[in-house]
Amino acid sequence: MSNGKKILVVDDDRDLVDILTMVLTGKAYQVVQAYGPQEALAAVDREHPDLILLDVMMPEATEGFHVVWNLRGRDDPYSATVPIIMLTAIHRETPLRFYPDARDHTYGAGEYLDVQGFVDKPVEPDALLAEVDRVLAAARGP
Amino acid sequence: MADQPATESPQVLPATEVLVWRISWLVRLRWLAVVGSLLFIEVARRFLPIQVALPQLLAVLALLASYNLGAELLLARLRRAAEERLAHGQAESAEGSVGRLARILLPRTPPGIEYYDARAAQAAVLASVQIVLDLCFLAAMLHFAGGVENPLWVFVIFHVIVASILLSWPATYGVATLGFLLMAAVAFGECFGVLEHHPLNAHWRADGYLDPRLVGAQVFLLGVTLFVGAYLASSIAGRLRRRELDVVVLARHLETKNYHLEEAFDELAAAEHAKSQYMRKVAHELRVPLGTIKTALSVALRVAPESMAQQPRELIQRAERRAGDMAEMVRELLSLSLVRGAEAHPEAVPVDLWAIAQEILDEMGPRAEEAGIDLTTHIPEPLPPISGSPQGMGDLLRNLVGNALRYTPSGGRVELRIQRVGDEILLEVEDTGIGIAAADKDRVFDEFFRSFHARQIVPGGSGLGLTIVKAVVDRHRGHIAVESEEGKGTCMRVWLPTG
Repeated sequence: MSNGKKILVVDDDRDLVDILTMVLTGKAYQVVQAYGPQEALAAVDREHPDLILLDVMMPEATEGFHVVWNLRGRDDPYSATVPIIMLTAIHRETPLRFYPDARDHTYGAGEYLDVQGFVDKPVEPDALLAEVDRVLAAARGP
Repeated sequence: MADQPATESPQVLPATEVLVWRISWLVRLRWLAVVGSLLFIEVARRFLPIQVALPQLLAVLALLASYNLGAELLLARLRRAAEERLAHGQAESAEGSVGRLARILLPRTPPGIEYYDARAAQAAVLASVQIVLDLCFLAAMLHFAGGVENPLWVFVIFHVIVASILLSWPATYGVATLGFLLMAAVAFGECFGVLEHHPLNAHWRADGYLDPRLVGAQVFLLGVTLFVGAYLASSIAGRLRRRELDVVVLARHLETKNYHLEEAFDELAAAEHAKSQYMRKVAHELRVPLGTIKTALSVALRVAPESMAQQPRELIQRAERRAGDMAEMVRELLSLSLVRGAEAHPEAVPVDLWAIAQEILDEMGPRAEEAGIDLTTHIPEPLPPISGSPQGMGDLLRNLVGNALRYTPSGGRVELRIQRVGDEILLEVEDTGIGIAAADKDRVFDEFFRSFHARQIVPGGSGLGLTIVKAVVDRHRGHIAVESEEGKGTCMRVWLPTG
């Protein structure tokens, strides 16, 4: 269950952020909202969320990727490990390879995305909640 | 963009090449004439009972030789200049007085075709001057070797033939006329005592040259010979030249056509690119709000109180389903434009079909289970990698398996088989579904095509799935075949080259 875990929802579509917030607060998660990459990074520093739901933020740019690379490139253990779920079906549509578990430096930044899960858009509430549960459970450790 | 065809500045034209070559041939022939004349004079003096004005003849031959030397030098200069011009990649068109003269001297060309360049014009003038001089030399030599008594007058016909090969038909008749006039002038000049007669043979018809009737008859017959010769030679040469020109015109025509074709092809490619870009932009723009609508509707259903009336609930469900169909269609449009877009051809990488097949099966497994369909795979041996796009192959398998599941009733079977056949990979997706009508088989790959039957059974669906499949197959230089029987099932077969 949620145990009041704090989730940061990042998407440039404010309606979607509100809708996802509704779904998550309905399951007693705390939600922090952000609408852009800078805001997202600021919110991470300020709120230290337990999980980040991150949109890839197309078509302007793949700014969502840069948020991931920024966080994973930092030195502190929290930023390097805070679980991230990408809100996109991008793993099916781009030549980027995604190896969520590959932290052994086989791949450089830009070659893979160090994220823990994906939720396809359009977001299915059930699928979202299931993925959030799964990733949070995995983050707690076996 | 293709280069503009060289209509303005012709490259080396075959006609010019031939003309310059022919003039050098003319110069060589003249050397032959000088040497031949010397030999003939010597032989004739020894073995024939004739006499000639030797000092004058030798003087004429010496003049001929020096004039030929001059012609040789001029020709060499003409050639060098032409080569230089060629090296600079430019050819001038014939202008000025030389150009005007050349237009008369050279055979006519169809409008719009610059068959000759400035070099050809110079060569034509040079050739004409030479032919005129040659006639004068011939007349002089004959004058010093018996005049009208000398049977070699008919040699004038050689000049007419040469003129017909090199020059236009008026110029050819001009040469014939000049030859005729020169000969007549010498014959009648000697006849009436204006010119001194150098008898060829003291014993034979020594006075003939003095009889105007005899001279006239001979001049007349020579004239007939020359003009008939001019007519025959120029008509044959003209016909040959026309055929040559036809080839040039045809080549030009083809060149222009080819240029336009290339241009049209470029435009087509640009249009296709623009279309694909536009499609992607539109798809992106539609996708975000559609996704949000669909999610909003599903959330609305979740948060709605249990007490919500059945009718509005059903309406929201229906709206959510249709929004989902539409989002799926937009997604397919996007992947189609990605497969087709020229810029979306990332470098081919080795693709592990087995891994992709597993991924797709994991994805499709729950759907098959839900629909009560037995989804199985058969990959009997390790597969060699194919070269291409993993996303493309994912799209291909997802669409083929997805289609099979969609159109197979509960209790049916869908099997994915991948095997190596020779140096190809054969990928088959076989189902026990509704099948495709024979009449529709050719159309299933068309954009947005959905058979009547398919629409009846599954209302949603974009009709883009197989279009995407075909685009992916084409991009991997493979081929696809449909085997289907209505009511029995369908087997889609895709062959992909390995390596």
